[in-house]
Amino acid sequence: MDAAVKSRRWRLEARRWKRPTTLRRQLIAWLAGPLFILWLVSSIIDYDIARRFVNLAYDRALLEAAIDINRQVKVINDRIYLDMPDVALEMLRTRESGNFFYLVTGPVEEFVSGEPDLPRPLPETPDAAADRVRYYDEAFRGFEIRAVALRAPVDPGSGRGAVQIHVAERVTSRDEFARQIILRMVLPQGILILLAGFAVWYAVGRGLAPLTSLRREIESRSHRDLSALSEEQAPQEVRPLIHAMNDLLARLATAISSQQRFIADAAHQLRTPIAGLKTQTELALRQSDPGMQDTLRKLQTATEHSARLVNQLLSLARAEPGAKLGHAVERLDLARLARETTTEWVPRALTRSIDLGYDGEDGAAWIEGDPFLVRDLLGNLLDNAIRYTQRGGQVTVRLSASADTLTLSVEDDGPGIPEQDRERVFERFYRVLGTGTEGCGLGLAIVREIALSHRAQVTLAAAAGGQGTLVRVTFPRVA
Amino acid sequence: MRILIVEDDPVLSDGLIRSLRGSDYAVDSATDGAEADQILSAHSFDLVILDLGLPKLEGYEVLRRLRRRGSKTPVLILTALDTLEDRVKGLDLGADDYLTKPFDLPELEARVRALIRRGQSGGGSVLAHGALTLDTTGRRAQLDGEPLELSAREIGVLEVLMLRSGRVVNKDQLAEELYGWDEEVSANAIEVYVHRLRRKLEPAGVTIRTIRGLGYLLEKP
Repeated sequence: MDAAVKSRRWRLEARRWKRPTTLRRQLIAWLAGPLFILWLVSSIIDYDIARRFVNLAYDRALLEAAIDINRQVKVINDRIYLDMPDVALEMLRTRESGNFFYLVTGPVEEFVSGEPDLPRPLPETPDAAADRVRYYDEAFRGFEIRAVALRAPVDPGSGRGAVQIHVAERVTSRDEFARQIILRMVLPQGILILLAGFAVWYAVGRGLAPLTSLRREIESRSHRDLSALSEEQAPQEVRPLIHAMNDLLARLATAISSQQRFIADAAHQLRTPIAGLKTQTELALRQSDPGMQDTLRKLQTATEHSARLVNQLLSLARAEPGAKLGHAVERLDLARLARETTTEWVPRALTRSIDLGYDGEDGAAWIEGDPFLVRDLLGNLLDNAIRYTQRGGQVTVRLSASADTLTLSVEDDGPGIPEQDRERVFERFYRVLGTGTEGCGLGLAIVREIALSHRAQVTLAAAAGGQGTLVRVTFPRVA
Repeated sequence: MRILIVEDDPVLSDGLIRSLRGSDYAVDSATDGAEADQILSAHSFDLVILDLGLPKLEGYEVLRRLRRRGSKTPVLILTALDTLEDRVKGLDLGADDYLTKPFDLPELEARVRALIRRGQSGGGSVLAHGALTLDTTGRRAQLDGEPLELSAREIGVLEVLMLRSGRVVNKDQLAEELYGWDEEVSANAIEVYVHRLRRKLEPAGVTIRTIRGLGYLLEKP
């Protein structure tokens, strides 16, 4: 499969799995849920406590107002009346912002002063009778009120009984006050929770950074690179993961190389019987009567095809990543290698009356590479060019240099490769339809594998005249 | 001319024997390394065709023992292994040529001829190419039995081309061969010699082909 497609697919898959289970989301969820509940419960408790203290404070103020009023209760001529200057009353009212009401009643519940319709406390229960002070909640003129009833003897010691002083105020002010308090407590808590959330978000991001960089490293790798991942930068917790991954990579590399060794061994084993078959066929062709010639030619073609296939399988096994079939990278002269390889192919080209030539500067051109593989690469390009170009055609190997690259190209004036096939010809066993030539479709796959292992680019285009094929392989140049 | 074929695959071995016998060589064969070693220590051959992957005794070992005995018999290695290391190892051990399986029969036959010729080159020899012959000791060329007027340098160029007939000879190789006669042989000079040779040989149907950017090739008759 194409490497780019593979890695894209991998990334898509990774994305599909990522959404439901990021560590960050999980941690935030685990943290935010309980914190929110805690916040809610503590708010309710806070509100309750605030309410209680507000009530306590306000009730005390009410009682003080009642006591103030009580001081002004006078008895003159057996009549009880409230000697309260208007100014004082006004003061009380203002203090309570207009929501203040009072009622003074005599020992027999008779009206003395204030709001006559102000609700009075429920009839006293027997044991509450002794209470001097009673608080109660009522409704008055459509408002909720809180009231206190103070029972005070008239002229202590006179035995005239007691007056009742009722003082009430609307509850809105206490509600407002409680709300203020609760707001001041709950808001900072909420902010604290939010901050904790952000801290977790950030910390998880920081904590997972090694994993992210690990992911990037793995993502950016080519499928050929099975070397171990670096453990140095990773924190202690991530190391076992990298360790396990490296272990897997190592096992994978071993498995791949043993598979490649198997292919190589199989190809080697096949070479001798094919050589026997080929030799016998060629001998038979020299001696046989004309009737057998046709069959023998076909046999010869099939043998050649098998021979080529075996060679190419071997090349492919050698070129693939992890192949350890005795090749070594060295500084090599691409110009010399290209000249030599082309020279080797001249006799083959001549049997097909193809004019094979070389075009390049005289000096050396250095690349880093495995001479055996690079020779294979050019050999496969030449094999294709010679195979698919008509008799009498022309094939030219060129080497051109730029500041930091060397481009090896093979150009022919054969039938060319249609544009829509140009990407696919690099796939294994893919053959352009209608070429009518024996090929096994491995040549360009090998070329690409070898190019990949040399960090070289392969491009396919129409030849200069618009006809034929131009394959370019661009290598990084070394000094 | 006596050739020993050491190859354990019976079909391939049989094919080689018949092919070489067809070219009038006397051919013996061995099917394992130990047998080959025994035969080689008792008899002398003009050429040994040696497979590397042999039972009982590896081909490399057969070669090593042969050379240790001081034999200069040319050895052509025939093998399924084809990495550079294998090649280098074989040649280091004293093999003279290397052919990877599967091979073309004509290619093998050409190498066999070349190796046998090289084995005898001490006494000089006559190279033949269709109607053209070249006496390398007398430095005379003949076409259809008629002497050919060639300069010493032209003979030099022709000799190199004939020795590698069917293969490309580049200008550097030609210049190297001509070094003895001429201190400085320029590429242009070689072009001139080839041009003259061509003019003299073409009427007889002997073609020297120019291979673009690479050199020259004497086409097989």
